[in-house]
Amino acid sequence: MPGLLSTIGLLLLWKAVSLFFLPTFLPSPMELLGAIVSIFSNASAYLIIGKTLQRVFAGLVLSMLVGSSIGLVMGLHRTVGSFFDSWIMVLLTFPSISWAFLSVLWFGLSEVAPIFTVVLIVFPYVTMNVWEGTKALDKELTDMATVFRVKRFLLLRKVVIPQLMPYIFSSLRISFALSWKIALVSEAFGASRGVGKELMYWFQGTRADMMLAWGASFMALMVLVDAFVLRPWENRVFSWRQAAAM
Amino acid sequence: MSSDAVVIEGLSKKFPSPTGFRQFAVIESLSLQIARASFASIVGPSGCGKSTLLNIVAGIEPHDSGEVRIVAQDGDSSSARIGYVFQSPRLLNWLTVEDNIKFALEAQNIGRASWGERVRKYLDMVGLAGQERNFPLKLSGGMQQRVAIARALAIEPDILLMDEPFSHLDEITARKMRVDLMHILEHARPTILFVTHSLREAVFLSEEVYMMSVRPARIFKHLRVDIPRPREPEDPRLFDLEKDLVKEFFAVLEQDHR
Repeated sequence: MPGLLSTIGLLLLWKAVSLFFLPTFLPSPMELLGAIVSIFSNASAYLIIGKTLQRVFAGLVLSMLVGSSIGLVMGLHRTVGSFFDSWIMVLLTFPSISWAFLSVLWFGLSEVAPIFTVVLIVFPYVTMNVWEGTKALDKELTDMATVFRVKRFLLLRKVVIPQLMPYIFSSLRISFALSWKIALVSEAFGASRGVGKELMYWFQGTRADMMLAWGASFMALMVLVDAFVLRPWENRVFSWRQAAAM
Repeated sequence: MSSDAVVIEGLSKKFPSPTGFRQFAVIESLSLQIARASFASIVGPSGCGKSTLLNIVAGIEPHDSGEVRIVAQDGDSSSARIGYVFQSPRLLNWLTVEDNIKFALEAQNIGRASWGERVRKYLDMVGLAGQERNFPLKLSGGMQQRVAIARALAIEPDILLMDEPFSHLDEITARKMRVDLMHILEHARPTILFVTHSLREAVFLSEEVYMMSVRPARIFKHLRVDIPRPREPEDPRLFDLEKDLVKEFFAVLEQDHR
């Protein structure tokens, strides 16, 4: 109920403020809705969104694979851990926007540039998270497995990785949120087509209404993916936990 | 072929003292033989190094000198199977009860063809038939510990190590588990090295009782319990044995403190 009231309040305030400006500078809620409809009445919108989704997906999958693997190896071998520690810190500290520009310089207007940007910015977070997870591994379970003479691969599969799953999933959700925002920024500079490119196009045309419309549409799509793909997946993987309530 | 399943000879283990300057002996020249298919208990106060001894036998803790040999049925020491029931169940909570047992079977390279039968047999033995597909967290603490016992039995170990396996359970559950363990042992006869601080538990369950002193751990008393099994927990002969041992134990403790 308070949520509904605050939404209505916000919409009213928005409408009131928008009366003082041109619709292309600050559209009212209804005008924004009209802009969104106009976007989706054009078939090319779906191609543009598809292109961006492809990049987000590729960047996310690569970041998760590279990040988890490095984090796992760092955790299992102390020397590797201290070796990569400072590298990861450097990557985490380097300004994100620099990567976006550098990627365009290095790879030009290609498919590689946005994905490269996403991976370079996102994978260090995954690595740090998974590395953190390896520090919390239960030694008692490892000892149990050792007594039963468990081989390395089985130990990884059945003992180590399941304990890292909470860290991997929290990385996945953070990475997802980061990936699509970074992908848009990078597309704005380094792609011939994509949602980021659309934002750039309408920015140059000083059309705030269209920028808001694209932004809001893509945001809605990402919220849906989170709610209908990531969350149910997470709940399924951790279903063994819900058994705790007897 | 030897009739002993476990031979411990002159085992010593030192720990660094908290300040790190000196080392103190936790276990000093301890020797022990455990006959195949017998149930031996080591009784001692908390912190006397009982768990350390089990961990050394299990090979998860190094020792400084001496020898620990576990002899497999065929006389080969390198292929000996070790089952371990810890104080807490140490189950893999993300695997079903059945998969927890299969995990141990797979680790021991036991042929896949026999997994189904073994899972059924040993879950049945510990009274958990029908729980195959449940996740551990859905079970009570006592049932989780039963799964751990089934897991250790299922590999049909040459030595079954049990480290105060009932100490985390409430007394009523623990009592039932002890009686059930006694009955399980009528069907499966593994060699058992059982560690506890409870004389009553040791006397009730074991054929051989070894009493251990504190720091350094040494065995000052060996007792055979000749009462045939299965035994009743209230058997007066058990109480008498326990009384005598308690007396002896405190006599030794006082001697140590003087």
